[in-house]
Amino acid sequence: MRVEYVNPFVESAIQVLSSTVSEYVKREELFLRPKMCPAMGVTVIVGLAGQISGRVIIDMSRETGLKIASTMNDETLTEYDELVVSTITELANMITGKAVTWLTELGFQFDITPPALFIGDNIQISGNNVEVMVVPIELPQGRLEISIGIKEK
Amino acid sequence: MSGEREEHNQGIKKDGTPYKVLLVDDSVFIRKQLAQILTSEGYEIVGQANDGVEGVDLYKKLAPNVDMVTMDITMPNLDGISALEQILAFDKKAKIIMITALGKEELVRKSLMIGAKNYIVKPLDRNKVLDRIISALTK
Repeated sequence: MRVEYVNPFVESAIQVLSSTVSEYVKREELFLRPKMCPAMGVTVIVGLAGQISGRVIIDMSRETGLKIASTMNDETLTEYDELVVSTITELANMITGKAVTWLTELGFQFDITPPALFIGDNIQISGNNVEVMVVPIELPQGRLEISIGIKEK
Repeated sequence: MSGEREEHNQGIKKDGTPYKVLLVDDSVFIRKQLAQILTSEGYEIVGQANDGVEGVDLYKKLAPNVDMVTMDITMPNLDGISALEQILAFDKKAKIIMITALGKEELVRKSLMIGAKNYIVKPLDRNKVLDRIISALTK
């Protein structure tokens, strides 16, 4: 997978998280994901379809998700109600939307599916034979992992 | 560029009554953010809808007591562009401002061609939201 697919998602995530969650955003070293990997508790999946296809997964613990949603809403949220789910979904929307704009400017034509959010302790994410790069991001609220798996048609 | 706002009455008309706004968005988070920004400036939120179908129905019920509609572009059941068309078919003077994430530029252009007054890109910035809303209201 070409790194030029990965960078827009990483840069977008850093910009969006910096403006909506915390000024302190630390990107860690990216790594390749094994074919099957347990999710951390809260997982948002966005599909990509068109000239390139694949998916972007934003993964975090339940606690981190609550802390991020609390920060973005400026109030303490303690359970996964409609507001928390909506907030995390919207965060994923903003990150992927910005990245899509940059990739479109580079000449790639594709669309994204609305984010789907999963919450659970025993969810496993399949790589589906697509090379997946994972970029960990540290925030004061906890750790996010952004997984990008893209293949060209 | 917007500076710090010192007055908090942008949402009040010259006759002292508030501009009435209908929020149409499937995201509770975005509706909450918009409501907080707008009510802090004196706007009145007269209704909130979760998708385009509810938005069109609510507009028809509330009209003419709606000065502005904020309309998300991507929604289930009926998307924002179709809802925009239906509201404008019902009331050609309706003032509708589109809300979108980046990456939907083509849809924004289409909305403006159809008759949307302006658009706002997420993440929502308070000053930009207020500037775009007042600009659309006075167009």
